[in-house]
Order: sequence, then C-alpha cells, then structure tokens
Amino acid sequence: MDLLELRRQDYSLDEDHQLLLTAFGEFFSEQSPTSLVRECEPLGFSQDLWNRLVEMGGTSMGLPESVGGDGAGMIELTLVAEEFGRAIAPVPYIEHTVTARALAAAGESTVLPAALDGSHIVALASFPVQAGSPQLVPAGAVARSVLALVGDDLVLFTVDTPPAHVVNQGSTPLAWWDFDAIADRAVLATGARAHEIYDRAHDERMTLTAAALVGLTEPALNIAVEFSKTRETMGVPIATLQGVSFPMTDVAIAIAGARNVARKAAWYLEHAPDERPELPAIAMVYASQTATKGTQVTAHLQGGLGFTIEADASLYFLRSKGWGALAGDPQAKLIAIGDHVLNTVN
Amino acid sequence: MDFTLVELDDDHRQLQQEIRTFLEGLFTPDVFAEEHETGSGYNKKVYEELGARGWLYPEKPVEEGGAGFDLVAERIMDLELFRQDARVMMMRGTSSLPLKAIRKYMPADVADPILKDAVEGRVLVCLGYSEPDGGSDIANAKVRAVQDGDMWTINGSKMWTTGAHVSNYTFLVTRTDPDAPKHKGITMFLVPLDTPGVTIQGIRTFSGERTNIVYYEDVVIHDKYRVGGINDGWNVLHGPLDEEHSIGLDMSGGLTDLSIGAGFCRVLGRAINEVAEWAHKTPAPDGSSLADDVQVRERLGAAMVEYEAGLCTPGPMGRVKASDALVQQSASLIDLMGPVGLLPLHADGAVGEADTEYAHRFAQGTATYGGTVEVFRTIIANHVLGLPKPNYPGAKVFMAGKKK
Ligand SMILES: Cc1cc2nc3c(=O)[nH]c(=O)nc-3n(C[C@H](O)[C@H](O)[C@H](O)COP(=O)(O)OP(=O)(O)OC[C@H]3O[C@@H](n4cnc5c(N)ncnc54)[C@H](O)[C@@H]3O)c2cc1C
Repeated sequence: MDLLELRRQDYSLDEDHQLLLTAFGEFFSEQSPTSLVRECEPLGFSQDLWNRLVEMGGTSMGLPESVGGDGAGMIELTLVAEEFGRAIAPVPYIEHTVTARALAAAGESTVLPAALDGSHIVALASFPVQAGSPQLVPAGAVARSVLALVGDDLVLFTVDTPPAHVVNQGSTPLAWWDFDAIADRAVLATGARAHEIYDRAHDERMTLTAAALVGLTEPALNIAVEFSKTRETMGVPIATLQGVSFPMTDVAIAIAGARNVARKAAWYLEHAPDERPELPAIAMVYASQTATKGTQVTAHLQGGLGFTIEADASLYFLRSKGWGALAGDPQAKLIAIGDHVLNTVN
Repeated sequence: MDFTLVELDDDHRQLQQEIRTFLEGLFTPDVFAEEHETGSGYNKKVYEELGARGWLYPEKPVEEGGAGFDLVAERIMDLELFRQDARVMMMRGTSSLPLKAIRKYMPADVADPILKDAVEGRVLVCLGYSEPDGGSDIANAKVRAVQDGDMWTINGSKMWTTGAHVSNYTFLVTRTDPDAPKHKGITMFLVPLDTPGVTIQGIRTFSGERTNIVYYEDVVIHDKYRVGGINDGWNVLHGPLDEEHSIGLDMSGGLTDLSIGAGFCRVLGRAINEVAEWAHKTPAPDGSSLADDVQVRERLGAAMVEYEAGLCTPGPMGRVKASDALVQQSASLIDLMGPVGLLPLHADGAVGEADTEYAHRFAQGTATYGGTVEVFRTIIANHVLGLPKPNYPGAKVFMAGKKK
C-alpha cells in the first residue's frame, strides 16, 4: 500500500449529516424502544415499525431519483444504519436497502416500485445458489424476493408467501430458501455485470452492517457504564477498579475507531470505489470484533444479571453474532483483505 | 467527510519537489549510520541545515524563524520526512513541546534568544519529567529546588530524559514546597545542561533509541530560568502535557492525522508492505509462492485491519489503539516470517530494510513513553466515559507526609 499518499483524512460530518443522524436517532429511539424489540421476538419484525420507517423515507432514500428515490449515498445510509443498530430495530433495513439499490442498478422495474414504497420486501442471498442446497437468507422470512447469484447470472427469485421463519440466536427473520423450488425467477444481469452488481451489494451490506454493529455496541456499553458507577464492592463502586474500567475503555476505543472505519468505507464506496476495495471488509471485520467483544464485556460486567434474559444487555449480546454472522464468517474476509495488500505491492 | 487526494497547485508541487530534492541530499548514508550507532533521534547537520531554511518548524511564521507553511505544505514536509525514514527527527518533536511555555512564562530577554536558536536548529530542549521512582505519577516529583535569593539549588535525579546528551536545556519538574499538596508544590525550570553538577548517563533501549538518567548535584541556577510562578508548575506543565496527550479537535480539514498514534501505524504499514513483498518472493515448500498461502493472506489481512483501525481511532484513543495494534501485529508478522523475520538490518539475508524486525522492537516503547497506555486508559475512563476516579492513598498526599 502507498503510505505516502497525500490524501485528506477528514472524518467530520457536515451539518446535513448531523441533521440526518439526529432525525433518525430520534425516530428509532422513539419508535423502537427495547420493549418493542422484545415484543417482536422471536421473528424480529414489526410491520408497524416498518410502515413508519417507510413514511420516514427509510426505504426510498437510498434509491436513485430516476426511479423515484431520494438519491442518498452510502454515507447517509451508513449514518442511518448506525442509528438503526443502536435501536436494534426489528426491521430489515439493511437487507432491503442494499437489495433495492442492486435492483435499481440492474434496471429491474417489476418489483422495484413496490420495494420503493416498502410493500414488497427484498433481500440478498449471502452465498451463490447451488442446486440441492437451500440456504438461510437474512430477512428471508419477510422478503418476497431474494436476489442471488446463480453461476454467472444475477437472478431475482420471487414468491407469493415467504418461507417459514426459523428461530435463531439474533431473533432476526431468517428463513431457509430452497431456490430449486422457485419458478418465478428473473435473470437481471449476466457475466461480469452480474458479479459487479452482486459484489457491490455485498460491499454495501458489509459497510451498513458494520455501522449497525457499532450502533448496537454503544448502548450496551452505556448500560455497563451506568451499572458500574453504582454497583459497589468492598465499599467502592466497581467502576473504580481498573479490571472493570479498562475493558470498558477498550470497548469505547473500539467503538470510536470502528465507527470511523465504517464511515470511511462508505465514503470510498460513494466517491472512489476502486481506490480502497478492501475497506468494506475491513469495516465488517473490525465492527464484528468490536460488537463481539463489546457486548460480551459489557454483559459480563453486570455479573449474573448480565447473563439473564431480563437484562437489556442480553438483547445486544445475542444480536452481536445474530447480525454479525448473517452473511458468513467475518474473519474469512481477512483472506480477501490480505490479497488486496499482496496485490498493491506487486 | 473528505478523503480525496489533495490536488497540488503549482506552488505546492514545486515546493514538494524542492523539499524532496533537498532531503535526499541531506539524508546521506552517514546520517543513518550515525543514528544507527547513537540512537539519539538527532543529527546536528540535519537540524542546522533544516533550521537555516526555516524548515525545522516550517509551520512557524517567517518572523519566528519558520517558513510560514500552510497545512498542505506542512503535510508535504511530514510525508517527505517519512519517506526518508527520518528517525533523527525525533528530538524535534520533543523539543517543540516546551517552546510554548518558554514563550508564555519566561521574560522576553531570556526566552527570545533560546526560541530563536531552537527554531534555527542550534538549541534543543529535553523533558525532565520522569524520575527513577516512577514516571506515571509526574506530580509526585521529588527532585528538589531550594531558593536562596536570586539563585536556586537543585538536587536529585531524573530518569528517561531522552536527548539530554544532545540538548542544551532540560524542562525540569521540581519540588519546591514539600509540605504543600503534591500538585501545589511544583515549580518548572529551564535548566542549562552545561551547569556544573549535572551528570548525564546514557541508557540504551532494545529499539536502539537512547535515553538518559540525569543527576543533579547542587546544581545552582539563576531565578531567570524559572518557568512560571513558584509552586505553579502543575499549571505550566499542563500546556505541554495536554499537547503530548493532544485532546485537540481536527481543525485542519483532514490535513493532520486523526489518531495521535498515526505514526505508530505507519511503522506497522511499512512492516506489512515488507512482509507482502517477501511473500511474493518466497517459494512455499510445494514450489508455489507464499503469496498464495492461505495463512499468509489471512495474517496480512488481520494486520491490515488493525492498521486501519489505528488510523481511524481519534485523538488519545488512537494512541492506545495504534500502540496495541503495532505491538500485536508486529509480533504476528515476525512469527509469519519465521527465523528470517529475526534478522536486523545489514544481517546476512535480512528481509528488505528489516522494517518488521525493527517494528517489533520499536513497538514496545510506544506503550510506555509520552504516558503509558494504562495512564491513557485511565484518562479516557475518567474523561470520556465519566467513570469515578479511584481513591488511591497517594493521590493527594503531602510530600513530607505532614498533615496540613
Ligand atoms: C524510550 C523512552 C523515552 C522516554 N522519554 C522521556 C522523556 O524524554 N522525558 C521524560 O520525562 N520521560 C520520558 N520517558 C519516561 C516515560 O514517560 C515513563 O517511562 C512512563 O511515564 C512510565 O513511567 P515508569 O517507566 O516510571 O513506569 P511506572 O510509572 O513506574 O509504571 C510501571 C507500570 O505500572 C503502570 N502504571 C503506573 N501507574 C498506573 C496507574 N495509575 N494505573 C494503571 N497502571 C499504572 C504503568 O502503565 C507501567 O506499566 C521515556 C521512556 C522511554 C521508555
């Protein structure tokens, strides 16, 4: 890699970004309290919240103006994803957003109008379709269409009724999709173009998931911080013990960094997608590590309480993996990152 | 947000070329050889020639001996120095920290010539904070300064005074009222290191950097070398300390590093590049290239994640993250290379410039100097997370143990 590049390193948000962050922050904290999150278990979907998100522009903002969207870019979507994650909101915001954008890129026009107004939820298959092996699709229990790679074709599979939900650790609407059995399939692109659209959607999903995992870790940390200030041992608050405060500090450090990596990945996807193609994977890996460690540390800091279903810490802990592992092993992405490093010195 | 390549205008492009050519001529092999030998982080010729052009502290206005560089020009200079792997510039950073306090607190007739010489590369100031009994608790300093009329007599010893052997002054933390609460009995001095009674002894670190222990035995200096009020040293010290722990916001539009540990990341970046090049050139046992080996690719990927995380973590948090990243990943990269990763520069068969072998040794100091990562974690816990401070018995003690 080029260590001598004279690039700006400006991570600051402008006023519009700040406003967007505040607007969606307020929306999700008001509309998706943890009581709603619990109510929606085990499916992890609230039709009512989804309708409100649609009204807020949540499903149209990321689509190009040419198809009736608001033309927001990856930076804006990443900011929304962070707030979505903070509220661990029971809606398929990320799956739907990246898939609808891929449909728009592919020039799809049958399903897209209904995806735009949120009435037809779309999702992205995480792995190439292989005959004889159904796969677990994130948001697959609420989506009517799933976009997938079949060989070198980009195919949109559509069903009248989504397959049955399977219970899972993160309480998300996972479902098995048996693509062999679906007759309604539209080939949207073939060859290099098919891979290009799919890879882009995959990169966008990693970037938005990274932001959501950062958002998810922060309230978990806040709960632990408040707990540690009042919980006492031997006459002192446990927060004064470095064995307690340092792990929390490391979580705070990881959150601050992971947030910026995700935003930086979004900036590059938006403005210079060929310059740092490894950044979405880096964002995903680091955010996944941050959420895994962060929610474990903060749940554990509450002792036995943090191990109970009743404690909100459990909601974040169970979703750290429940969201982070949806698109396959984050650590496996290290290999692709390493390949990029090897390519840049050759 | 903005990560665009900076488009240089003609003036900046010309300056970049001028700086590059000048530095290429300046950093001759003997400069590197001397640094390798001494570990001083300093070179007389380099400092004086840069100083003569106003390029030692080029961001300072021309009237103050700088070159009035704007942020772009300053960034160009930083990157060009990094291109040269200018370890000899280390003392420039150290020496710059007390300059503000000298200007602010010392009478102009004393301060002005010192500042002029410092900017022109003829005078260095080192930091006399840490003591043999412990550096994390600076306010616990025991080096004693006693006033007698216009003169002060200093006794005691300082540890880790990096650059004392090449510096003209030390910015010294002293105890002037042992009966006051510990933060209120400190006075700062700028002690000329050629004063009788000062003895400097070298200490070598395993990264090659040299630092010193400095003994003060009945060292008598004039009151004009006092920096700030008597017993007001904690306030005087805080300027440079805060700067060393740099809590500042980025006002540069992204032309300065976000993370104060960015320099540590660059050392890791060099090692990553070196290992990647080595992997391409090294055959695997089955005859293929190591660059195709899954483990090599994964380990490089892991190092890259940590490199990026270090760069993206803001301010003082970035200092902790970057140091941790460098410590862990440099070790992992050495493991990956195996025995050849252990060979230092110039050893028979050493890989590249042995940047990885060096990074692993260099990394360990980054967790300690300028405030250990534990001290930084404590600051972050208190100031960012708002966690209560522990009530340690020594936190507010009176130096002589007297109750007041
Ligand atoms: C190469 C090098 C150059 C240096 N240059 C300078 C210099 O120019 N001028 C100068 O004044 N000093 C300098 N230092 C000193 C440096 O600032 C100190 O080493 C550092 O502050 C730690 O002090 P110490 O070594 O006495 O360790 P101690 O303070 O004794 O600490 C020992 C260990 O205990 C931990 N610890 C201490 N207090 C706490 C706490 N409250 N909470 C948790 N953990 C704690 C530390 O993190 C450390 O791991 C340099 C050091 C090195 C290695």
